[in-house]
Amino acid sequence: MSYIPGQPVTAVVQRVEIHKLRQGENLILGFSIGGGIDQDPSQNPFSEDKTDKVNGWDMTMVTHDQARKRLTKRSEEVVRLLVTRQSLQKAVQQSMLS
Amino acid sequence: MFSRNHRSRVTVARGSALEMEFKRGRFRLSLFSDPPEDTELQRKLDHEIRMREGACKLLAACSQREQALEATKSLLVCNSRILSYMGELQRRKEAQVLGKTGRRPSDSGPPAERSPCRGRVCISDLRIPLMWKDTEYFKNKGDLHRWAVFLLLQLGEHIQDTEMILVDRTLTDISFQSNVLFAEAGPDFELRLELYGACVEEEGALTGAPKRLATKLSSSLGRSSGRRVRASLDSAGGSGSSPILLPTPAVGGPRYHLLAHTTLTLAAVQDGFRTHDLTLASHEENPAWLPLYGSVCCRLAAQPLCMTQPTASGTLRVQQAGEMQNWAQVHGVLKGTNLFCYRRPEDADTGEEPLLTIAINKETRVRAGELDQAVGRPFTLSISNQYGDDEVTHTLQTESREALQSWMEALWQLFFDMSQWKQCCDEIMKIETPASRKPPQALAKQGSLYHEMAIEPLDDIAAVTDILTQREGARLETPPPWLAMFTDQPALPNPCSPASVAPAPAWTHTLPWGRPRTFSLDAVPPDHSPRARSVAPLPPQRSPRTRGLCSKGQPRTWLQSPV
Repeated sequence: MSYIPGQPVTAVVQRVEIHKLRQGENLILGFSIGGGIDQDPSQNPFSEDKTDKVNGWDMTMVTHDQARKRLTKRSEEVVRLLVTRQSLQKAVQQSMLS
Repeated sequence: MFSRNHRSRVTVARGSALEMEFKRGRFRLSLFSDPPEDTELQRKLDHEIRMREGACKLLAACSQREQALEATKSLLVCNSRILSYMGELQRRKEAQVLGKTGRRPSDSGPPAERSPCRGRVCISDLRIPLMWKDTEYFKNKGDLHRWAVFLLLQLGEHIQDTEMILVDRTLTDISFQSNVLFAEAGPDFELRLELYGACVEEEGALTGAPKRLATKLSSSLGRSSGRRVRASLDSAGGSGSSPILLPTPAVGGPRYHLLAHTTLTLAAVQDGFRTHDLTLASHEENPAWLPLYGSVCCRLAAQPLCMTQPTASGTLRVQQAGEMQNWAQVHGVLKGTNLFCYRRPEDADTGEEPLLTIAINKETRVRAGELDQAVGRPFTLSISNQYGDDEVTHTLQTESREALQSWMEALWQLFFDMSQWKQCCDEIMKIETPASRKPPQALAKQGSLYHEMAIEPLDDIAAVTDILTQREGARLETPPPWLAMFTDQPALPNPCSPASVAPAPAWTHTLPWGRPRTFSLDAVPPDHSPRARSVAPLPPQRSPRTRGLCSKGQPRTWLQSPV
């Protein structure tokens, strides 16, 4: 089974809430993001988490620049992410069996 | 003069007392003039009239706004069904009358035109995205503006509604759980979808309004509504471009407004999710206006009866491959796109494997008569299919001339149905019987995911799975399709992935972050930060021009940025 980019996908997600840190005069999150719909996914060294939503903004169809902009808004102190990762599926399955 | 088998006609003169009785819903059609389908429709009409009376009483007794919203919705749905059934009854009567006057008994009459088989149409997983403006979304003011919405679906004279959902600005989409099934659709069906909304907060301070509303609605339809009733009775039965629901004639009480609508036809049917455009019907000034994105996603599936039920069956003799004189007797069943030949008639029911399966599809050719001059084998038909370069022909012998005729007729009907139902006859689309709707939870506040799942610490998978198991027993035996996002082989040659998050590094030392910078997509960024950016310019691959965002060919970079 595969998914087709641009078609809706239902996934198991985890909500993550991050309060930005203050560094100098900037508010930062403290990690990096990679990828985007305009990037080549075969060069992804991590292939771990994928971000579906940032503060309500849909991130499944964004370019790298758009993603970065939405995470670095100066006016927001808190970022709420909906994240999906492969290990979520295994974890849910295991909890179902037990 | 009465003749024994002649049905008497019933016509209703415009403006007559009988027509008024029609409108009041208190008519009774004569028993002598009803064919069986009409009594069924009559029964449904009576049922709706009783439901309507019940809804009026309920509305009068409501004290809470949300209950009044539910009751008003039931009342409006009943009203629209009553109108629709009455219009259908009237049309059928007119068709009967016209049918009789146009034909004389002495004519043999032209052969009946072939009509396509009926089918079941099911629409499910309806989702309407919303588009809140920045300011609306992130304001943390005290009161939350809320709306009550539901979808009304009409196919032919059948009207169905979804459950009512309360919407506020924390929702990104309106998702309906309902599965709506229409049983008697033709391939030319038009499924009209309408979204109605009402404010949950009172539009004006009017107390005691529900009672007045109820009495007014139960006694008469009012003048402007009466005009609409007449108009819809006059029109040729279809809803045309006017909304299905009557506007509420009353005073106070919740008022539903039409927010958007669209019509779906056979072209929209697919065994999967599709997005369709919505025609928006209200403006910002309307109190019930919602910021709709302008589309609706759903799964619209159709199962023509020719695919799920056998259309012909009987004894056949099949010429065995390679053995010219040896014909085996089988029990043939024509169902969907196959002719199954079973050893015995009972095998078809017990699920035994058929001896032989012959495919019947758009390219199959069928001929009556003898192909290979088999001596003494009359009443044969041959079925030819093309498999690549080979043509495979099966020759079947039927029992008699009449049997041959009926098999040919069944095959012609099947070909006709396939030409009408088009993509629905390629493979059977699965339709789940809609579960009975749970009673509306009056005060279930639909929180968004953000408010429901509180997870601390950040990375606790166990907490997530606990919450998930509590919510619903998900069916997780097979890997769900979304896991494909994590494989390296995406489906299309245009690989695009959602933005990924790399794990956070340990904050043991300060890093000269500076302000995040914007880099152009094609440029190789200078290596500012101590963390190396993996940008590997691949040798340019000239791929054919693809649609969408990556129109410059294959993306060649994997940018990372600190945030």
